[in-house]
Parts: sequence; C-alpha cells; structure tokens
Amino acid sequence: MEAFLFWTCGALMVFGGVMMVLQRSAVVAALWLVFAFIAAAGVFAVLSAPFLAIMQVLVYAGAIMVLFLFVIMMLQGPVMEGERRRMALPLWPGAAIPPLAVLVLVGGWLGRNSAGSFPAAPPAGFGSPGHVAAAMLGRYLLAFELISIVLLVAIIGALSLGHRERNQTWS
Amino acid sequence: MVLTLNHFLALAAVVFVTGMAGFVVRRNAIVMLMCIELMLSAVNIVFAAFARHHGDAGGHVFVLMNFAVAAAEAAIGLAILVEIYRRRRTVDVDELKSLME
Repeated sequence: MEAFLFWTCGALMVFGGVMMVLQRSAVVAALWLVFAFIAAAGVFAVLSAPFLAIMQVLVYAGAIMVLFLFVIMMLQGPVMEGERRRMALPLWPGAAIPPLAVLVLVGGWLGRNSAGSFPAAPPAGFGSPGHVAAAMLGRYLLAFELISIVLLVAIIGALSLGHRERNQTWS
Repeated sequence: MVLTLNHFLALAAVVFVTGMAGFVVRRNAIVMLMCIELMLSAVNIVFAAFARHHGDAGGHVFVLMNFAVAAAEAAIGLAILVEIYRRRRTVDVDELKSLME
C-alpha cells in the first residue's frame, strides 16, 4: 500500500513539474505546480508526516500559489500570453548540461550507496502536530525565532517595494 | 516491495532537476520563480525522508522553516517583479538585460 502510494504520488508530482515547465501560459503552469504540490503532500503522507502533508496543501498549494496566481492575473499582457520566442538553438546544450550533470551525480551516488529500508515503524505519534511542535518549540526554538525575523523582513521589504508613491516623494 | 530512503532521494533528485531545467529554459520571470518553488519542494522531500529514516522530528521542523523561506522568497520576488513590470511593461528576462549591456 505504501509503495503504491509512493509510486502514484511521485509519478504525479514529476508529471506536474514537467507539465509546468512545458506550458507556455503562466496561468496553466501555476495550476500544474499546484497539482505537483498536492502530489507532494501525498509523498509526505507516505513518509508518515501527516502534519507536513496538511501544511503542504494549506501553505504551499493554498497560500503561496494563490499569491503567484494573483500576481500573474494582475500583470496582464505579455505574462498572460506566455513566451513568444523559443530559446536560441545554440543555448539548448548549455541549458541541458547542468540538470543532466546533477542527475548523473545523484544517480551514481544512489547506485553506490544502497541505504537500507526505513525502520519498520516510526515512534508512536511521529509527525503529528504535537510531536513537531515539541521539537520546534524545544530544541529548535532559536531557529523558530530567527525564521520569524526572516518573515518580518520579507513583510517590510514587500511593503516598501510595493509602495507606489515612493518615487514621487523621493526623487 | 519495500520503500527505502533511496526511493525518496531519487524522487527528490528528479523533481529538483525538473525545476532546475525549467529555471534555465523558461524566459518568464514568474515561471522561473515557480521553478524555484519546485526545487524547494524537492528539498522538503529529502528533509522529510531523512526525518523518517532517523525517527527524528528535526527534519519536519526544517520543512516548516523551508515553507517560511519559500513564502518570503515568493513575496519579495513577486514584489520586485511587479515593480519591474510597472517600469518596463514586461517580465521577460530576455528583455531585462540593461545590467548586462
């Protein structure tokens, strides 16, 4: 059952990612990315991380992708039309080499280092909200506080970037 | 068939490479940001897989940190793109090369 879920969700996630890359329209690409993220939630479920699966759907497929769709639909015109030109032909090998290199390196490493299977059963309550919260607000409290500063800086940065009157007052 | 850590690492590698190829190939800056999100998602799978492997919630905590980083990155990146669009009326990276010339 776990293996079936893994292969299904993994294949759907890769499929969604590939379709996102191949789509010329930014809106359709964003919708395929939502598809890939929901499949990733299934992969988290296989990894006995139910809280992460829920957060993946709520935060990633929900909040972040809505932000993307909102901006795409706000910037009409060239964004909605998709790319007009293809990439110049001489550039294609250059575009293909880095991803292929990563794939070959990781594939070679995985082929040489065969990790054993997972421990049969995770500890009781593994991946539940309480279990994750105990770690987050215990051992990783400093990281938790730092990430809140990152979010604060992001809010201030987005506000100052989006402030329309700035140019008229400063220059 | 038993799932091993390597299954999840291989899946994450394929997803990461998909996002990487998209980032290199696509010319629309918004789609390039979405490719970055896909790469971050691949990293999340690796975190969760190692958390399951070691039976430790630290990986789950850092997946949540990664969510916050992805949200911050999307907010700032999209704000910059909106500002660029207001000035240049395009988000096509082929036409945004005034720094290069």
